[in-house]
Amino acid sequence: MLRTHEKIFCYAVATTFILFLLAPVVWLLSTSFKQQLDIFASPPRLIGSITFANYRQVLGDAEFMKSFLNSVLVSSGTVVLSMLLALPAAYGLSRLRSRAKVALLSWVLLVRAAPGMIYVIPFFVSFTQLGLMDTRTGLIIANTVFTAPLAIWILIAFFDGIPHEIEEAALVDGATRWQIFMRVAVPIAAPGIASGAILVFIFAWNEFLFALTMTRFEAKTASVAILNYMGYEGTEWGKVAAAGILILLPVAVFAVAIRKYFVQTAAGGVKG
Amino acid sequence: MKNARNRGLWPLIMPTFLALVAITLVPIVVTSGMSFFYIDLTMPGLPRFAGLENYAELFSDDQFLRSVIVTAQLIFVPVTLQIVVGLLLAMVMKEKLRFTGWMRIAFLLPAVIPPAVSGLVWKLFVVPGAGGLTYLGSLLGVDMQLDLLSMPGTALATVIAASVWLGTPFVALLLLSALESIGDDQYEAARIDGASWFQMHWHISLPEIRPVILTVAIFRILEALAIFPVIYVLTAGGPAGSTQPINYYAYVNGFEYLRVDYAATIIFFFFVGMMTFCAPFLVNIARREGKEAA
Repeated sequence: MLRTHEKIFCYAVATTFILFLLAPVVWLLSTSFKQQLDIFASPPRLIGSITFANYRQVLGDAEFMKSFLNSVLVSSGTVVLSMLLALPAAYGLSRLRSRAKVALLSWVLLVRAAPGMIYVIPFFVSFTQLGLMDTRTGLIIANTVFTAPLAIWILIAFFDGIPHEIEEAALVDGATRWQIFMRVAVPIAAPGIASGAILVFIFAWNEFLFALTMTRFEAKTASVAILNYMGYEGTEWGKVAAAGILILLPVAVFAVAIRKYFVQTAAGGVKG
Repeated sequence: MKNARNRGLWPLIMPTFLALVAITLVPIVVTSGMSFFYIDLTMPGLPRFAGLENYAELFSDDQFLRSVIVTAQLIFVPVTLQIVVGLLLAMVMKEKLRFTGWMRIAFLLPAVIPPAVSGLVWKLFVVPGAGGLTYLGSLLGVDMQLDLLSMPGTALATVIAASVWLGTPFVALLLLSALESIGDDQYEAARIDGASWFQMHWHISLPEIRPVILTVAIFRILEALAIFPVIYVLTAGGPAGSTQPINYYAYVNGFEYLRVDYAATIIFFFFVGMMTFCAPFLVNIARREGKEAA
């Protein structure tokens, strides 16, 4: 189909971009397996003598592992809270035939599009007063600002996909909306709900601004704690790289697992 | 009939929206309110009404004006590059070439990598000595000991490169799925008429997917300043404010100078500006979603 020079052009574009895309990540990976001396070898080498010392040190670092656990707990908590809020609302909005629908949908999009900083200052002030500062609960609530709207938007699309006939039959049989939601809609939309939950997990896992401003020691998450390795006496690149790979791994696996849904859902509203 | 159909739906929707009012609308209103007061968190006592004085300060603050320019640079340059390069990549990936299937998976990586880690990835890549650029330079016989992050121009270029790196693959995947919805027969007809690959896409693909491109661009504009963690790690806004966009300047005021009132003013001003520009598009997208299901 393609003419030869067009094919060459396509390969050239693809190769150039893949190099640009992978070079920094490959360098991170290679650094994570290097010894301190090799990291600053001149000229630098891509692969030196391979060592697992960086990973051992990071995994043995109680402070970092605590932050890693915090990341797991906060992200899971955010998934639970966001889904509890988003599931009924998304189902309701999907079935609603009212003018209020567009207004509510616009609001959902607008909240998500607002800059994070606009939420940070009031949250910071009120969390200090409510004793939620530097707690995982506080961080979960803050994360939900973005993840609940994200989840609502994703789930609406999945509920929209359920044929109306199934529900109308149940309605005629005298089932309440709540029963239909719980026993018909949620089970049918389960695969969509699962991929929505994974996406919320990824979002919460990657969140930085709230974790930076609203945690100090106790509730600090891994994506903020990794900066500890960039001390004043110089950056410990081996540890930074190993910790970076460890933080990156879970979300990369998740993304590949839901890749079929990832593009449509993560876009959250970008379609036709 | 209409009411009967909606029966039982509001009790499902309302609790969530009340919760969302509490955690989203209230903070936005509070932030806007704070911008009209003098607030000193380090001193006890009630805030004093400031009227528009915080806003007056904004327009005589050189650092703020600088951050507005940086914001424009960090929005329009990366988003333009993301769209142009992303479209080109989508066109390439639509062809069944040797590694296009594999690219679809690799392209997910920047979209899910934690932004703070991408900041570190890029810092490690450009750091002189231990960095990947030094390595690539040595392969080509060039001694790359330049610290790109130490000069305003190159620091900004590095942040832009990181932003393009983060956003382009995902844009490519979105545009690819739009391209794949166009029927093959149109392309085949154009081929018979002797159109080149590029002409084909220019005259068929581009008009077809223009609405998608516009929507993607709006979302990328809204997301452009989500590069905050990358800037935090890479340059911390420097040197000399050259990579400090508005939201970063608000952060610095709020959390380093502890001037929450001024930080609130900066970010609320930005929020209003951004929303005046983007809200019509967002409402449009919501309207389309609303209609689709009906």
